[in-house]
Amino acid sequence: MKTLRAALAATASVTLLAACSGGTEAGDGKDSQTLTLASVDQGSVEDVVKAFEKANPGVKVRYTTSGADQYQQQIRTQLSSGTAPDVMSVWPGNGNPAATHVLAEPGYLRDLSDRPWAAKLPAATKSVAQYDGKTYNALFGQNGIGAVYNQQALTASGLTAPTTWTELLTFCKDAAARKTPAFALGLQDNWVTQIVQYALVATTVYGPDRDFDQKMQAGQATFADSAWSAAMDKYRTMEKEGCFQKNPLGTNYEASQQLAATGKTLGIVQGNWVIALLKEKNPKGTFTLKPLPADDKADDALMPAAAGAGYGVNAKAKNEELALKWVDFVMSPKGMNLYVKKQGGLPTLPDTGYTVDPSLTELSRFITDDRTVPFMDQLWPNAKVQQTMLSGLQEIFSGQAEPKDVLEAMDADYEAGS
Amino acid sequence: MMIAPTDQPGKPVVPVPVSARAPVRRSRTASTGWFLLPAMLLFVFVVLVPSARGVYYAFTDWDGLDPDFSFVGLDNFTDLTRDDDAVQAIWHTLLIALAITVIQNLIGLLLALGVNSAIKSRNLLRVFLFAPAVITQIVTAYLWRNLLGPDGAVNGLLGGVGLESWQQNWLGDPDTALWSVVGVTVWQYAGYSMVIFLAGLQSVPAEIHEAAAIDGAGPVRRFWSVTRPLLTPALTINLMLSSIGGLKLFDQVYALTGGGPGHATDTLSTLIYKDAFTLGEFGYSIALAVVLTLVVAVVSTGQYFMLARNEKAAS
Repeated sequence: MKTLRAALAATASVTLLAACSGGTEAGDGKDSQTLTLASVDQGSVEDVVKAFEKANPGVKVRYTTSGADQYQQQIRTQLSSGTAPDVMSVWPGNGNPAATHVLAEPGYLRDLSDRPWAAKLPAATKSVAQYDGKTYNALFGQNGIGAVYNQQALTASGLTAPTTWTELLTFCKDAAARKTPAFALGLQDNWVTQIVQYALVATTVYGPDRDFDQKMQAGQATFADSAWSAAMDKYRTMEKEGCFQKNPLGTNYEASQQLAATGKTLGIVQGNWVIALLKEKNPKGTFTLKPLPADDKADDALMPAAAGAGYGVNAKAKNEELALKWVDFVMSPKGMNLYVKKQGGLPTLPDTGYTVDPSLTELSRFITDDRTVPFMDQLWPNAKVQQTMLSGLQEIFSGQAEPKDVLEAMDADYEAGS
Repeated sequence: MMIAPTDQPGKPVVPVPVSARAPVRRSRTASTGWFLLPAMLLFVFVVLVPSARGVYYAFTDWDGLDPDFSFVGLDNFTDLTRDDDAVQAIWHTLLIALAITVIQNLIGLLLALGVNSAIKSRNLLRVFLFAPAVITQIVTAYLWRNLLGPDGAVNGLLGGVGLESWQQNWLGDPDTALWSVVGVTVWQYAGYSMVIFLAGLQSVPAEIHEAAAIDGAGPVRRFWSVTRPLLTPALTINLMLSSIGGLKLFDQVYALTGGGPGHATDTLSTLIYKDAFTLGEFGYSIALAVVLTLVVAVVSTGQYFMLARNEKAAS
């Protein structure tokens, strides 16, 4: 019985402890030729590390990779306990636990404004690489969100990709009638819920008003009283008109890829990063990214496009010289092309001589024509707005909430500030 | 259960000369103390001290990162009472714990009675039934996430036997998601409860059963009057373990539904995780953890005393 009592006490305490522990091995680059690195670029950083080591003979990169959720937890613990590596993945803008603003504000990142590439960043990218006018993030790749079509499935169905909202609804009906729904949707993973919403918001909100974010920041606009609400209605209309497969809430991201890759749906609304995953599941497939129409003027369409996670240098890096060499390498044409090729994105800097993958020509054209808007959350004041939206969209789809409730809750979180 | 005849309250104290009694007691206490010391030190410095220091943060606005944070008193706890998500999560936590405790032990007991009988290949059955308990929670959760998908094996099976109307969006429907989580947990741990019950059953002397049978007691009567009282210690352990496990449930919920759809399956543990590591609200999240600790402590202490009394009555 005593052991039972001890077990009881231990269990109670461990529960508490679990909430305040975490983190992994500390990066202590004792050797001046060793760089420590923590990255979320699983599957691509490996090649870049090899190329970096080759370009710098004698240098050894000790790196760890992890998924975004786990990484954010780990890096925060390491930073606050002084055991973070020299270089680490940092997200652009704000609104995420390891974003530029969040990590630069308490002084954990080294100012990179003096690097040769910092001044060359395009304005849209620069705005999310900076905090307080200084550049902290080596953002190397850009991503876009839109409708990714399975070309073989599309041809087999005899349908063509829609360019207007009306065409989109007809497309959905026709596709559903052929028993191959238009788009796969994996809402079980809650981050997926935002993708269609962002694709619609780009055109409906930012189309008529490119300064919407400034107005939000100045308190002159709200989610609830803006076209965000129209975009949410369109999202629901898409569901009602059969644009998605059955039971999106019970379908996860992985399963949704399977549907689109194998032609059980004609496509999937996602970021360009999904193309590499679709090709893994169907190596013979051809996939192209196009804007998701949200109104009836095709020329007004905008696409969400933004920099993905880049690299920041630890303000207390044990090997600062090598850390700076790493970010410079990543921002060099060689490093950048290596990364974006593997990740299936687009480089952030012009003139890297990068050959755009045919699946992304449309996205590339939109970026060149300045017809893109950043991912909405990158300019939000805290991470809570996004989380409220993600679970709110799940609640809307499962009939637990109305769009108005969710948008008002997002407004409340936005107003709470950083 | 054997109870040592000494030191029982209410018993007349037999005067024993101090000199005759003291050395025995002192040496026993001292030696027990030395044996306990390493474990106690470990427990104090690895568990108690860090936990107590952790509790302090429940009264701050620490974001898990910034070394500058301020003391906010009871703000986090008052916020908690106004947070619908937190109140809902507490309710889910209690519901899940209760459901798991009842269902898992009932099934575990039935399984134990089954494999304790003289049926063929009972050893093989025991292994099979216990097998899920040794698999990592996250693995079984991912497995079930696919089995319970809209086109998964569960719906496929129901369709195959003509029960299309029973097919559900198991994890995507707020009405079934919580119960699916309970179901998966019970599936995994019923075998675990079974093993503990089985150990209890095997310690019931066969002679008592024989004697009862000779006295004319049927199987139900024998279970109720012979087996059940002797199983009480096993029941105590099983109830404690399953209710504490249910209250702390994290892996299954996180991997199966992520707390969704919306917040339909969020428990205190998943909310603690999200608030800390997704939102960076460490102070608030630790306040939630303190509440969870108190809930676990209160529920299990209450349960322990109740069961200990039963055990005493049964012995």
